[in-house]
Amino acid sequence: MDTRTVVQVGVLFSRSGPYADLGEQGYAGTMAGIAAVNARTGLPFRLEASVADPKGNTDRYAALAAELVSGGEVRHIVGCTTSWSRKEVIPVLEKTRALLWYPCVYEGFEANENVVYVGACANQHILPLLEFALPAFGRRGFLLGSNYIWGWETCRIARDVILRSGGEVLGERHVPLGDADIDRIIDEIHRKKPDFILNSLIGPSSYAFLRAYRALGERDGDFAPGRRPVLSCNLGENEIVKIMPAAEGHYTTATYFETLETQENARFLAGLPEDARAAGISAFFAQAYSAVLLIAAGIEVAGEAAALDVLEAVKARAVETPFGPLRIDPANNHIHVVAHVARATAGGRYDIVRQGRDAIAPDPFLIRSALAVPAIETATTPSRPQLRLV
Amino acid sequence: MNNGFMTPSFEGLRALILHRQHANTEALERQFARIGVSAVTVWPELAAEQSFQDFDVLMFDADMGYDEQFPWSAGEAPIPTIALIGSEAPGRITWAVSHGADAQLLKPIGSSGVYSALVIATHAFKRRKSLSSEVATLSERLANRENLAEATAILMVRERLPANAAYALLRRRAMDERRTIDEVAQIILEKTGLNEGKRRG
Repeated sequence: MDTRTVVQVGVLFSRSGPYADLGEQGYAGTMAGIAAVNARTGLPFRLEASVADPKGNTDRYAALAAELVSGGEVRHIVGCTTSWSRKEVIPVLEKTRALLWYPCVYEGFEANENVVYVGACANQHILPLLEFALPAFGRRGFLLGSNYIWGWETCRIARDVILRSGGEVLGERHVPLGDADIDRIIDEIHRKKPDFILNSLIGPSSYAFLRAYRALGERDGDFAPGRRPVLSCNLGENEIVKIMPAAEGHYTTATYFETLETQENARFLAGLPEDARAAGISAFFAQAYSAVLLIAAGIEVAGEAAALDVLEAVKARAVETPFGPLRIDPANNHIHVVAHVARATAGGRYDIVRQGRDAIAPDPFLIRSALAVPAIETATTPSRPQLRLV
Repeated sequence: MNNGFMTPSFEGLRALILHRQHANTEALERQFARIGVSAVTVWPELAAEQSFQDFDVLMFDADMGYDEQFPWSAGEAPIPTIALIGSEAPGRITWAVSHGADAQLLKPIGSSGVYSALVIATHAFKRRKSLSSEVATLSERLANRENLAEATAILMVRERLPANAAYALLRRRAMDERRTIDEVAQIILEKTGLNEGKRRG
């Protein structure tokens, strides 16, 4: 008989609606994390999921979060994908002293005491991505995003960085969430020939864009895969496999890639169920999974204490996760994490092109991060060598 | 830093919180620390060795604050100010307004609000400063209009010029001598001795 006490964990993701692919990764990662904790021997507790699904409707998040915590048993919620939904849930958390473990990449400019940010903020995604891309591809960018805070703010930061780095923004377009009408934007990009395109579109809009851009590349060799690449901070493994070969030659930055060759990742992947592997394991999945490991590590030390005490306990240590030892910053509740850059293949996989080594300290308000990208790599390496030394 | 897309940074700034020690001031200090601002909480008045000049931004209590806390007249704070509002009674809000608060924060203070209040207050402060310097320039110019008219009249008589040519001469002299046209008018009046020149502004 199982004598372990049961600790409820709220799971709040949208598995349908305009960003269902991301929500599904968060959900599956959380459930896999719970299964992994429960499979451990020696813990005096086991975790039980309390699931709610807002189905992509922002107005449902606060009500469902309130329902989850209302009985007093759920003190930790893993959930939310968009920043809007997170903002909706925060008042409920503050009133009930519960915690949201938010496992998504986001734009930053928040540090709430009732939220733990288990994903990259801007200095851990768009900055390292541009540090890589500006010297490699050029400084003339085209910015594209879904018409809400994620798209607006990543594009604004990108514009700030590009202009401070002596580059140029050739255009900026925002597409309503879920909209797939992309032709005019493709025409504009065709005309302006940017060195790269930053794609902060979400879900179906992003897929429609990548397919149309692929088609443009088939018509005009100047846009062939790899020529004027598309950069993203939010496109994942589960998505590129779905739309392959449309993402071929394009780049994503993330805290995690399924193809990372580390011991932690090998162990993590080996322990996952078949069906989760089949869908593709993205950073969203790994972050949700790791959020559960962080909760369990806190409870292991603090016992069944108040959520904020569990958080204090876990802040004092580094927890083994698929990322390796993971730390939560005691001052701002964000994780210290590496940024990798990978290129998508025609077969819908990611090849790592730049493997991050050191964890980047979170700087959610961008107060310490250098926002200008130096020209070192272009200055020392001519982009089109005329002669080859034999 | 006027462009809307630039990321503001407040790192290294010093904030003065004029409010009694309270959970609210602790929350403010935590928020300031996160954005790299060092904060000092003081109530009700600065100690002898402290000065408002040592700070880059002021947060003041709209609930219990009073005029004598500030060494400047209403609306002329030399740094950006943010009102901390608890009571929404019109009297207290009006008092905060009379001190020209550049932004506001509602109590109780939680995990957010300081960053946006700082962004808004620094923008409002910059606008306030540039407006008041523009008003000062315009007032001075207005005050000098009479001098300008008299100097033009003197040139008209002395050089037998029509009004527009006399004025053009004034302008050319100002450009040649790298002075403002008002200064040139002043000099003409003083030299002529008909008028001592009315220094205004």
